[in-house]
Amino acid sequence: MTSWIVFRREIAQFLTTPFAYVIGAAVLLLTGILFNRDLNISFSTKPADPALVPSILSFAMVFFAPLLTMRMFAEERREGTMELLLTAPVRELSIVLGKFLGAWAYFTLLLLFTGIYQIILVNITAPDLGHALSAYIGIWLYGGATLTVGMVFSALTENQIVAAFLGMVALMLLWLADQAGQLFSNIDVAIIFRTMSLQGHFSTSFASGLMRAEDVAFFAGIIAVMLFITAQILESQRWHG
Amino acid sequence: MTDAMIEVTRLTKRFGDRIAVDHISFSAKPGEVVGLLGPNGAGKTTTMRVLTGFLPPSEGGAKIAGHDVVTDSLNARRNVGYLPERVPVYPDMTVREYVLFWARLRGRRDARARADAVIAQVNLSERRDTLIRNLSKGMRQRLGFAQALAHDPPVLILDEPTIGIDPRQVIEVRDTVRELGRTKTVLFSTHILSEADHVCDRVVILHQGRIVAQGKPSDLKRKLRPDATLEEVFLSIIGTERGAGK
Ligand SMILES: Nc1ncnc2c1ncn2[C@@H]1O[C@H](COP(=O)(O)OP(=O)(O)OP(=O)(O)O)[C@@H](O)[C@H]1O
Ligand SMILES: [Mg+2]
Repeated sequence: MTSWIVFRREIAQFLTTPFAYVIGAAVLLLTGILFNRDLNISFSTKPADPALVPSILSFAMVFFAPLLTMRMFAEERREGTMELLLTAPVRELSIVLGKFLGAWAYFTLLLLFTGIYQIILVNITAPDLGHALSAYIGIWLYGGATLTVGMVFSALTENQIVAAFLGMVALMLLWLADQAGQLFSNIDVAIIFRTMSLQGHFSTSFASGLMRAEDVAFFAGIIAVMLFITAQILESQRWHG
Repeated sequence: MTDAMIEVTRLTKRFGDRIAVDHISFSAKPGEVVGLLGPNGAGKTTTMRVLTGFLPPSEGGAKIAGHDVVTDSLNARRNVGYLPERVPVYPDMTVREYVLFWARLRGRRDARARADAVIAQVNLSERRDTLIRNLSKGMRQRLGFAQALAHDPPVLILDEPTIGIDPRQVIEVRDTVRELGRTKTVLFSTHILSEADHVCDRVVILHQGRIVAQGKPSDLKRKLRPDATLEEVFLSIIGTERGAGK
């Protein structure tokens, strides 16, 4: 209930903030251009990739997710509303959950807009719709996970730029975890890195039309853990005033 | 004892090795208006932040309507309305959306009706659909009151509600506080002493984190001199404190 109230405010905030539209436009522009290029190529050479747009987004979210979440707590602190939120008879986790759902809903909206590309695709070629659906479900979960990583850094620092930068670094490391793992000669360390890799749970599964329970669990797990950490950060900040 | 709506017991708050609030104890009964007085840095805001559940105490404790602010924090918070020093707002919300948000978040089922009633109470009905960014300072202050009252709490904690507004609005705020004090327990801070004299049933004077005097304004004044003002009481206490400290 509390989360629902916070969610409604958060989504209204996204829909009235020019910056959110700028990010949204950038996402659509980027995917649009790359989609268009791929379409031209696929006419002549290969069949169109139904997971193209989700795959582009999977990399783009490394940068876009922290930009979408960087204001989340900084603005509440600047205006002082954080003090009212934290003195309302509600738990930190409910507030954090509501804010996450707001951001995720905004991301979902963007995904729905990119659905237009799939409609175009259906009319031109005959893509594998199951494959496309799996890729979309994958990127939806993946996007949620990247947003929660952004939220952790937004809660951690007052400074929006710093929050966005740290969020991007963290997501980049998670993105590259596959490769980073290979730097270690120790096989166990490499495996840990590999299992933490965002890309590893998307590009070889959802994006190839495979829906595996372990990958769904991975993203759900990241979301749950990051939301919990964010709530803990807010809680611990009380002690420092 | 148990009928006190605010009960502060040997409350201490440290930030690192700085003591902001130093073993203070006081209480407020239902329907009482208590003024928390003191110069800048005395510890007024810190005390209020502990009472509202924003900051945990370092030592000692406090209860709101019988609920401990640490061990029963959610219930304590349910019973408090809080107006911070600088009114916290969402500039892109309208007056009504804003009050409605806090009424809902604090669990009012009849949030719409309650929001409208509270907005009328602070004379903002004509501005219900105005964006907060376009409100004057005085209106923002009234909006701050509306937010604090949104869930109709029995205890109100107001941090310097008359700061930065014009004299006519100051008088309005004082009337509001007095009015609210009929049905609610009000703790409000100020460093303008004549203000406390007008409004409070009792005052608690803080200085460097400690309580240096508390009681009815009239009693405190009489103790010093029959025709003394609260200012003189204040200065004499703080003056001797400072002398004693050196
Ligand atoms: N978050 C914090 N970290 C460190 N010190 C703090 C913090 N908050 C308050 N203090 C210190 O605690 C003391 C009391 O501050 P407080 O804000 O409670 O005073 P105040 O009576 O409200 O003053 P004012 O009239 O200026 O609002 C001051 O010395 C202040 O510097
Ligand atoms: Mg203060």
